[in-house]
Order: sequence, then structure tokens, then C-alpha cells
Amino acid sequence: MEPNGSGSDASRQVQVRFVTRLPPPLRVPPASMAVPSHLTRFGLSDIVNLLLKNSDPDHENQPFDFLIDGELVRMQLDEFLIAKGISAEKVLELEYVKAVAPRKQEDPRPHDDWVSAVDGSNSSFILTGCYDTFVRIWKSGDVSECTHVLEGHTGAITSAKFIDIRGVENEQNFHLVTGSKDRLLRLWKCDAAKRRGDPIRVGAYKILAGHTSSVQSVSVNPSREMICSGSWDCSIKLWDVKESEEDGDGNTISLKKRKVNSKTKESEDARLEGAATSTLVGHTQCVSVATWPDPDVLYSASWDHSVRQWDVPSGKETWTMVCGKALNCLDIGGEGSALVAAGGSDPVLRIWDPRKPGSLAPIFQYSSHSSWISACKWHPRSWFHLLSASYDGKVMLWDLRTAWPLAVMESHQDKVLCADWWKDDSVVSGGADSKLCITSGIEIQ
Amino acid sequence: MGKEKYEESSSDEEVNSSSDVVEASSDEEVESSSDEVEASSDDVESSEDESSSDNEKVEESDSSEDEVAPRNTVGDIPLVEWHKDEEHIGYDIKGRKIMKQPRKDKLASFIEGADDPKNWRKIYDEYNDEEIELTKDEIKIIQRVISGRTPHAEVNPYEDYVDWFEYEDKGHPLSNAPEPKRRFIPSKWEQKRVANLVRKIRAGLIKVSDQHKEEEHNVYSLWTDDTDSVENKKHGGYVPAPKPKLPGHEEAYNPPVEYIPTAEEINSYELMYEEDRPKFIPRRYLNYRSVPAYDKGVKESFDRCLDQYLCPRTRKKRINIDPESLKPKLPSRKDLRPYPTTCYLEYRGHMGPVNCISVDPSGQWLASGSTDGTARVWEIETGRCLKIWEVGEVARQICWNPSPDRPILAVVLEYDVLLLNSGMGDIDIQTKMKELLHISEPGATEDAGDSKSAVTWIQHEKHDGIRMKHFKAVLSIEWHFKGDYFTTVVPSGDSKAILLHQLSKKHSETPFRKLGIPVTAVFHPSKKKFFVATKKFVHVYDLSKVEKIQKLETGVREISSISIHPGGENIIVGSKEGKMCWFDLELSTRPYKTLKVHSKDITRVTFHRTYPLFASASDDCTAYVFHSTVYSDLNQNPLIVPLEILRGHKPEHGRGVLDCKYHPRQPWLFTAGADSIIKLYCH
Repeated sequence: MEPNGSGSDASRQVQVRFVTRLPPPLRVPPASMAVPSHLTRFGLSDIVNLLLKNSDPDHENQPFDFLIDGELVRMQLDEFLIAKGISAEKVLELEYVKAVAPRKQEDPRPHDDWVSAVDGSNSSFILTGCYDTFVRIWKSGDVSECTHVLEGHTGAITSAKFIDIRGVENEQNFHLVTGSKDRLLRLWKCDAAKRRGDPIRVGAYKILAGHTSSVQSVSVNPSREMICSGSWDCSIKLWDVKESEEDGDGNTISLKKRKVNSKTKESEDARLEGAATSTLVGHTQCVSVATWPDPDVLYSASWDHSVRQWDVPSGKETWTMVCGKALNCLDIGGEGSALVAAGGSDPVLRIWDPRKPGSLAPIFQYSSHSSWISACKWHPRSWFHLLSASYDGKVMLWDLRTAWPLAVMESHQDKVLCADWWKDDSVVSGGADSKLCITSGIEIQ
Repeated sequence: MGKEKYEESSSDEEVNSSSDVVEASSDEEVESSSDEVEASSDDVESSEDESSSDNEKVEESDSSEDEVAPRNTVGDIPLVEWHKDEEHIGYDIKGRKIMKQPRKDKLASFIEGADDPKNWRKIYDEYNDEEIELTKDEIKIIQRVISGRTPHAEVNPYEDYVDWFEYEDKGHPLSNAPEPKRRFIPSKWEQKRVANLVRKIRAGLIKVSDQHKEEEHNVYSLWTDDTDSVENKKHGGYVPAPKPKLPGHEEAYNPPVEYIPTAEEINSYELMYEEDRPKFIPRRYLNYRSVPAYDKGVKESFDRCLDQYLCPRTRKKRINIDPESLKPKLPSRKDLRPYPTTCYLEYRGHMGPVNCISVDPSGQWLASGSTDGTARVWEIETGRCLKIWEVGEVARQICWNPSPDRPILAVVLEYDVLLLNSGMGDIDIQTKMKELLHISEPGATEDAGDSKSAVTWIQHEKHDGIRMKHFKAVLSIEWHFKGDYFTTVVPSGDSKAILLHQLSKKHSETPFRKLGIPVTAVFHPSKKKFFVATKKFVHVYDLSKVEKIQKLETGVREISSISIHPGGENIIVGSKEGKMCWFDLELSTRPYKTLKVHSKDITRVTFHRTYPLFASASDDCTAYVFHSTVYSDLNQNPLIVPLEILRGHKPEHGRGVLDCKYHPRQPWLFTAGADSIIKLYCH
């Protein structure tokens, strides 16, 4: 201690105890200790790292985040205590978790045009849709390798989804669905057989026609047998893909022959068409997103400023929430997979709790973006983490326990059009700079 | 008796003036005091001469006793107590002590009293310390008073009545006649009248209110300041002088330290204006005598004199009006949400100023035309440019067909109008459009009668559309809301200035013959009406009868654009001098409101289709957003509230924002700038 300098600072100390739910090598002794009250999370992180190093000399320094009463510390300790009205007299319990931050920026996967759709639900492959009408499948790995190119759409791809997430290593077949601005959905199957050289060109085995305007989003239900699609024609259509899969396998039953213009080459890939099993009507403007998180419940967001919940068996609306902005993205997740996160024509990411009766006000609002929000996704396993992508070129990671973004990824030079989690610890995002960016090393317990 | 009285009073005078006379007169009357009646007769003669001589005194002698000043001057004090031990009883008028008479002892005085036969009428005057002997007359008066008679024997209560007035030979004598009898008996006519009233009251013809009315007390406040009362004001009024502030501690010669201004404060006073500077700056003096004279005293009293001389205190009629209250009460901008405020998206790609934009009826696509010779279609949601037509000339105006089944774009070039298939919509629509935009016999559809026809319909091979070749330069185009008819304006076309075209028949006609130089023409959003704007007027036509209904006088120098409210009864007109006029067709042919908002030319005014919004774009690089509520109640005037100024475009060759259009379903505004960027402002 210095003899006289900063005596007052040194005297302002807080008794803290570090606790954690991390595995044993990252646990510090539970004794309480006094730390200067002006420390921020970086100082606290240093202390924890020092303690860990004392017990284990091989420990490598890593950043931690600190929780007080379930809220992340994002300012000086004393300021936090004053802001939250917590007494500094008691021993403060600081729970530390590994800081969520991107650690590695992988090489972007170049595309020929704007990347408008991405799906990261398969752990070994990434599915991207592009404005050049092609859908691509990328294999995980350090080398950017495009294994398949799915061709057939005549408009920009707006949405692409894996129907089965089986194929990790042993499963050889993908089953995919894509929606496009050419008003059609296409179902695809492809073989994931490893092959060197040029990507395999694949054609759709089935076309789902019915929408009269651009298909904006496609979503698969939890049982993986049905898909839903939202479109600019204000409707949501549900399609049965289980049956069609069999059709595709059998490849015999002829449905409706698609009207084919003799001039174009469509005649050669004249294929089976499927029709929608049901249509949900209620939105008055473009349905920008429809998601199907629960077998019986479907959520949709629209440019008519509303989020609607649909009961699938009856096809009725069960809950409507008007937020005042045209909505571009919607995801269901969080606590009990019940929170609704949505973003739209303003820079605010809003989160609602539909279980809360009487109130339609958002429970969280995050406004660090500076332009429209184009995508938001909950982390598949965590209740607290979600990501958002915006036209300002940033992808942000959010934790519900703090109002500031955990991390801001500025890997794109232009609008980010789509983003998703991949393999639980990476974020994949595609944008108007024709790149698929992969940010990995995001550890979320 | 009366004469006796005179005598007595005169003798009483003498008692006071000289004690000898008193002695003499009193001696005289000693015997007769017991029997007054006999003695009086004797005295009449003896005192007759005296009485005559004393008469003058008698005249003024009613209060003569009061006028005799008492010898002692000490006043009404308890003499016995206070002067018991003193040698004197008081002071005379000159201030000398009045010594006490030598006190006789009781025995001596008794003996003296027994010897003296007049002792019974002697009184001791304690105040003057002397003995007074009452005269015979005084005793008489006392006796008369005791017996209840008048004090003076000469007063006769039963004197004869002497009339004060004379009656004889006078013009208007006071009547001496006795009161006539009629004065004492009730009047017959009055009785009749009363009876009449009573009868009427009983019959109910006259109503008598039983309620006894409380007399209103005229209460007024006695002590309050009534300078502001109505009465006072009427007569010019009394104007009280303003009350000066009472002196406080700071004006003491040695005020507490906290009242003393610091050096900085004193310096800061120097920087203030003369009026704002404090009038008095507290200072400390060691003692009271070192306080200097008030240096401004002379000046202030001079000013005060000047004030009184030159500025008589009269009430100044000053109207205190809060300037805020004069502003029209407009609703808060917050309550009028949503309206476009912030630019979130930009549509970049054009290489030259973007002249015109148009949003497709579904709100998914945006078309734009530019001086770089291209027309483009953009995806609104992402800002992606989907299609580019190289039209080769400056695209002056572009317009989507308002029918959702006909995704056709009309582009105005110099002499041509291109009808292009936008390629949106599904397969069925596309095939229909191809049929619609196909001309079997090129050039055959024109007016056969005219030697030089106004329009020629030609198939455009390059862009797979129709090219309508006009004989003069085309300025603007507007679709009918059903999407089959459209109009083009050829300003220099004289009688063929306004052209109506039908897309399905590929037919053109010129129904309006006589016009000035038209600027723009629009269709009514629901009725069969047509609006043509010339440089200064807006003409309203009925399309079914082809006749003029109204002529709106804008009062502006040159109209640049007009827009019709979706209700159809209100029009806004933008002018080249930056003025905007709002017309209510039901109200008047003159502007209901003229808004001078822009500093340069207004290039475009536009209404929102569903939201109560309108906007104006101008060459001063701004776009204004207004709220406009049009009430269905005809008595209520439209409410116009300016909401937002949208900036962001950069000037290019003196031009700013060239076009603005609202999104058909969202409260969003698109602006096209001379800086070749299209911006989208969202709420």
C-alpha cells in the first residue's frame, strides 16, 4: 500500500465472495475477500484469474463475466450497487461465468450475390440462400468448401431450412426446403457423400406452389413433418412434407403438372407440385416471418405491425400483439421457450412475454443498432442469449441480464440480411456484401 | 316677586365684588328672612333704583356665577387629603400661595356660631378656604327649589299668548281656520279603491307574494383597497404609487457579511445592463457617522420632480398577451404518430439525379427514373435493385399502374411514354400482361381523322413494351385508379395538351380543347372527375359530361404539382415559389390555407393513401411531413399540423429533392434526390 496516496480509494472496499457453477478447475476458494469498489468486470476478472493461477499454475487467463442478483455487472461495482440499491455492508456474492465473446473470425465464404438466407441448425453443414437464385451447402471446416449448389429457383432466395437435422456424419441425406421471391417453395434432397472438386448441382424434387407473391420465410415444425411459409400475399400456408418425402422417394404419383412455357427450359425439369394443406389468413400485409416452435402453436410477424399466435389444428388466431412497427424478424425462445423477440423497421429489438396477462408492452427493448433489424435468433440452449443482425452492418449478441450488447460483430461491410447460431458456439451471418461470415468461439454454458 | 329676584341677584354680585356690601345688605335682611312675604313689599321700593341700574348686568347674568373665577387654581383635587399638612390650600391665578386661614378650634367656633345670629346661613367653602354667608335671596331660591316651584318668583307660567304673526291685510295669511272635519275621517274614495283591490286579490287577479323579501344589505368592504373597483376605473381612477421595497438588513450601515457582495460580483454588475444592475450595493462602515451622504439624493429628487411634472400617473392601457397563446392550438406531435422521421434505408445505384419515383400498390417494389437514362425497380425491404431498363433518355416521370393485376410501369421520356412490363406478379398475370402490351398492327390505332395525330402507339421491341410517341414533349403522366385509363400532359400541345389514353384499346383522345398551358393533370381518386393544373389555376372537370365544374384560384406564381386527398374533397397544390395551398372543394375556390414552407421550388406534393399525412419535397433539400385530418363533418375545417422536416439530401446543381412518395401501406416516405440517392424515411 502506498503510504499516503489514494488512501480514500483504498478505504472504499466491498466484501465479495466469488461463486460459480463452472466445473472444478475454474472454481476459486469460497472465502470472502475485500476488493476495491471501483473495480469493473475486467478488474474482477483479473482477480479471479489470479486466484485460479494460485491454485493451478497452468491456468490460462480468460475473461469472466460477473452476475449480481442475476444481473450482469457492466459498470463499476460501487456504481452498480448504488444503481441497484444493494447494501455494500453485506458480503456480496459475485457469480462468475465465462464471458461470452467471439474469439475467432473465420474466413468469410464468398458468394456471387447478396446472401439472404442462412440456416445453421445442422452442426456440420451450413445452408445459405443467395440473391443469385442458388442455394448452397457449405461444409464445416477451415477451408471454405461448397459441397452442393441447389439450382432451380428463378428469384432471390428468401429463406432456406434443413428439414431434418439428422445428418451429422452417418446420415447421408439432407432434406431441405427453400422459399424464394419467385413465389415458390422447393423441396430438395441431396446426398452428402464426400466428394472432391466442384460442388454437386442438385435440382428440387418437388415444388410447392400456391403463394401469389414472394415467399418471405419458411419454417419447419418440431416434428419435422410440416412446414409453414409466410408470404407477401398476406397469408401463411402450411405444407405437409412427410407425405411429399414419400412421394419423392416413390417418384411415381403424379400430381398436378406445372404449367410450362414451351420456350423455357422448364420442360426438362417439369416436376411434381404440391399444394398447401391449409392457409392461415388474418394478416393484412406482408407476412415477413412465420415460425413454428411448438407442434400446435405457430407465430407470425407481419408488416401490418402485428405479431400473431395461431392455433394450428383449428387455424385460429389465439393472440395478437400490435407493436407499431413493420416487423422483419421474429423468434421464439428464452425462458420456457415462450418469449417473443422481434425486430423490424426501427433499430429496436423488442422482447415480449405473451404469458404476461393484460400487458402488451415489451419486457425488454434493446436499441444499440442504428438501422432496421433484419434477423434475430435465440440461442438454441441458453435462456438468456440471443443475436440480432441489422442493416447497419452489425451483428450483436445480447444477454437478457444486461441492457448493453455482449459483443458487436462488425464483420460485414454492408447490410446484414440474415444471421443464425451454428453449433451452439458460432454465429453465421450473410449480408449484402455477398459474404457469409462465421464468428466462432462463443462459449455459452 | 320678580323684582325681588333681580335685587337678589344684583346683591349677589356685590357679595363677590366687595365684602362690605355683602355685610350691609345681609344685615338689612336679617329680620325679614323668616317672613319673606312681608319683607318683600318693603324691599320693592328700597331696591327699585338699584334694580334699574343693575338691569344690564342681569341681561348677561344667567351664568354669572360660573364666570366668577375661583380664587384657588389647583383644580379638582382631594384638598383635604393633599393639603392636610400644608400651610396653603393652593395657588391663585398669579401663582402665589393661598395660605390657609388660621384654624379656629372647635370650641371657639361653636361659641362664635352660638353668638352669631346669622351663623345658620353660613357655609364653609373648602376649596377657597373661606366661609360664605348666603344672602336672603339665595335662601329664598333654595326654599323655592325645595318646595318644587320655579326658582325665580317672577316667572309666570300662565302668561297670555302673544301671537307672533300678523293676519290682517296680508296676501297669503297663514290660515287660522280650525282643521276641517274631513281631515279626521277616512276617505270614501280610498275606501272604494281598497275594496276594489281586495276584490281583485280575492279573485286572484292580483297576486301578492307571501314571501317577505329580505332586504338586501348593501354590504361593501370598508377597508379594502378599492382602487381596482369598477366604479373607480370608470372615473379615471386613483392610481396608487407603487410601494417601495422596505429597507432590509442589507441597507444597514454595517450589514452582516453575507450581504456584502464579493469583488467578482461587483465586477459582474459592471457587465450588466444599466436596468438590470442592482440599485443598491451594500457596504460596511465602521460607525454610523462615517456613512456618507446619499450621493444620488439630488438627482433622484430631481428625477422625481420630473416624473411628477412630465409623467402624471395615469393608468397605461397595456395588453399583456402571452405570445404563446396567440399561436393556434395544435395537437402534440407525439399524439399524431406514426409519421416518417428517420432515414434508415438508401437506394443507391443511379448515376444521375433521380427525377421520379413510384411505389407499387402492394408496397413491395419501388420504381425510379433518372437523368442517367435508366429506370429501375428496387426491392423496398432490402434496397436491392432488381431491374434496370436502359431507356436511353432522361426519365421524367415514372408511374406504377394502380391496379395490382397490372404490374405495368409508365415511364415518361422526352417525347415518348413507355409502358413497360415490370415482371412482377405470378405466371398468369405475366401472360396477361404480355397480351396487353402487344400491339398487332403498329401505328394503326391512331386517330385516322387527324392529319398529324397526337400519339402513335408502337411496339417497343427492346424492352418488350409499348412506346407511345407524342408529337410534343410530354411533361407528366397519371393513371386512373382503375388502371385502364391514363392521362399525359403535353404543355406545348395547345388544343391537344391533355391526352386521355385507354390501355386496353390502345386508344388516345383529346377531350379538352381550350386550356392554358397545363402543368399536370390528375384523376379523382373515386369519382369521375379530372383535375388539370395550369400555371395559376386548377380546373376541375366532370369526365362523364366533359365540362368544367370548378376553377380554383391558387394565387401562386407557378404551380408545380398537385395531389388529391384520398377522400377526394381536398387538394394540395405546390408552387415554384415554395408555397403550398390547401383547397377544400366544398368550402371555396380559394385556398383554405397557404403554407409558406420552402425556400425554393416545391417539386412534389403528395398525400398518403391511408394515413392522415401529406408531404412536400423541395429543391432546398428538405421534405416536409404534415399531418392532415379531414373530418367527415362538413362544418369542421381540416386540421393541418406540420410534423417533421426531413433532411439528408445534398444539393446538386442547385436542385435538392426531386420527388417524394409515400409508401401505400406504411407511414414511410421515399424521397428522390438530385444527389442520385433515394432515401426511405420510416416512423
